[in-house]
Amino acid sequence: MIKLDEQQLNELQKDLDAVRDEVLADLGERDARYIRKIVRLHRALEVGGRVMMPFGFIPPVFVAATATLGVAKILENMEIGHNVMHGQYDWMNDPTLNSQTYEWDTVCTSESWRRTHNYEHHTYTNIIGKDRDYGYAVLRLSDDEPWKPWHTLQFINYILLSVFFQWGVGLHELETEKLRRREISWREKLPFLKDFVRKGGRQAFKDYVFFPLLTLPVAPIVLAGNVGANLIRNLWASTVIFCGHFTQDAETFTERECEGESKGHWYLRQLTGSSNFTGGRWLHILSGHLSYQVEHHVFPDLPAHRYPEISERVQEICRKHGIHYNTGSFLSQYQTVLKRVLHYSLPERPARSSVNA
Amino acid sequence: MLAKMNQTRAMHWLGRQLLNRSNPASYFDPLAEAINPMWIQAYTPARVERILVETHDTKTFVLRPASRWSGFRAGQHVNICVDIDGVRRQRTFSLSSSPLLWQNDGVVTLTIKRLPGGLVTNWLHDQLEEGAVLGLTEAFGDFLIPAMPKPVLFIAGGSGITPILSLLETMAAEPFRAPVTLLYFVRTQEDVIASEKLEALAARYSALSVRIICTHETDEPRYLNDADLDSVPGLKAREVYLCGPGGLMDLANDLLYQRGLGEEQIHCTFFAPPVSSPLGDETLGGEVSFARADLNVDSSGDATLLEIAEAAGLKPQYGCRMGICHQCSCRKTSGTVINRLTGKASGPGEESVQLCISVPRGPVTLEA
Repeated sequence: MIKLDEQQLNELQKDLDAVRDEVLADLGERDARYIRKIVRLHRALEVGGRVMMPFGFIPPVFVAATATLGVAKILENMEIGHNVMHGQYDWMNDPTLNSQTYEWDTVCTSESWRRTHNYEHHTYTNIIGKDRDYGYAVLRLSDDEPWKPWHTLQFINYILLSVFFQWGVGLHELETEKLRRREISWREKLPFLKDFVRKGGRQAFKDYVFFPLLTLPVAPIVLAGNVGANLIRNLWASTVIFCGHFTQDAETFTERECEGESKGHWYLRQLTGSSNFTGGRWLHILSGHLSYQVEHHVFPDLPAHRYPEISERVQEICRKHGIHYNTGSFLSQYQTVLKRVLHYSLPERPARSSVNA
Repeated sequence: MLAKMNQTRAMHWLGRQLLNRSNPASYFDPLAEAINPMWIQAYTPARVERILVETHDTKTFVLRPASRWSGFRAGQHVNICVDIDGVRRQRTFSLSSSPLLWQNDGVVTLTIKRLPGGLVTNWLHDQLEEGAVLGLTEAFGDFLIPAMPKPVLFIAGGSGITPILSLLETMAAEPFRAPVTLLYFVRTQEDVIASEKLEALAARYSALSVRIICTHETDEPRYLNDADLDSVPGLKAREVYLCGPGGLMDLANDLLYQRGLGEEQIHCTFFAPPVSSPLGDETLGGEVSFARADLNVDSSGDATLLEIAEAAGLKPQYGCRMGICHQCSCRKTSGTVINRLTGKASGPGEESVQLCISVPRGPVTLEA
């Protein structure tokens, strides 16, 4: 990471705070209209997808219904759920868009998500050993983590994690690695497991039991469509999220260098530990604007649809302070993610490093 | 009844299974809102049918609530919710019409005075148009007509007349057979709300006598005094209803206690806008009430609500402690807090606050 002294860090903080204050002062009607429009679109897509699904015995309808439901789930998880739970719309004082009460359409309970993601991941971003999102305790993505033989096959783990992403995210808080190391006991995890079973059961019941049974004669078609929709969402969500922190230039940090850090240092870590990808307006919306991962990490509770306009200012600040602003096309960024997964499946090698950490 | 309850329980169960919410109907609200806002389920929608000008700073809003609204008793209030510049605001207002009007015509009225600097009342006056839809809660409050006919004295100040209009209208229709006196304090003759209605009521309801007293038409302000109370026959036997600004309420309470009227005879409903802390901006701290924990603690200086809660032995949920993660967000039901990061003051009403960066200014009540 580039080193800035105390004064430079303070300057950086001041610059970013100014952007934040400006947006906060400007929040209003426009933001409310935007998120309500997206919520309305989500409802229309989900209702549309579920109504079409029983007619999926006509192949083009099956494709349309599955895609519609998949996109509905993507919108709900990424642009609505994830962002609402960050408190981006708490200022609206609308109980249906409140960070503490929103429950999203995925296996992970909102409560568990707020603990592991909002708190752990966003506070300790990319600090190896503290940010459990860095590799999800399944993948080795930096030489800071010692190599073990089973890492050789981690590409298979990566594929499995992507396919079953909602279940992986749902079980994230189980902290299996700590259970294995006996740092925590199963008993401590019982309340979490109970919530996990309740929410996971609910999600499975809805998509794999209730709606198929409701339309019994075509149950297999509805079941297949719902599995497909969840798969679409899983693959897309995992891909977007991997592009946010595991690209070539996304940096990692040690616990030591972050001890007692200032807000300025926290900002610097967010800027250098995250990565963006470019694309059209709908690519951004469907990624929940996590395509602006840098802006999201610097300002996690500003309404995400504001990131594109903030981006210019953030880039300017990065230039001013000599900080690398990590962005690239979706495909090129994703390529570097795949490279990283493969690269670190092998033990540490002397630096010829095509991937720097 | 039981069938209906089972049905709602079943619906709630299904709502949680399918839609991750206990009220499945509200899932469709965003679509309903686009088609017909009167179909919204999350709150009771009410359409603004007409807006009548009462005085230079007071308007009456005629509302038609969705038919599932349960109605009200004379003297009760409702909360209305409106979205102003993207922010949902709730405020309490008294219903100024009689329940008979709701039963016969399906409408209710709110008579609302513009408060200087008031965000919601000014918006209602300037922006709300006929045909718009706002949200309504069920009615509440115990500022009610005595169950048995007893002599009654109303003391109203300014817009504090609104629940009394509803009470008088209802008493006249019954009719309520005992003497009823209204002492109505206004700044000037121009500030009299519903003067025609009061005249008409006094004309057709013989038990009622109305006195309107202007406080600011003379050089010296002329407030409630002993002579006013002397003019009310059989005062000691009356049920007294007070509604108006804090100053009038305090004065009336004092004078009535001096005359030996008992607490159980005096009914108050506060009508003043929430007073912001009398302390200056630089004075932070105040009593914090944690409703669920049933705990009140005093605080001083710039201790945050999270620190105050923890010092009091509570363990609220928290995360980053620096205003990022919103893990500690909690509902504030009343009071003003200062955002430690921005230095800005919150509104006085109900809203969500981040405990870790909110410093109380004056008394604050939290749901936690």
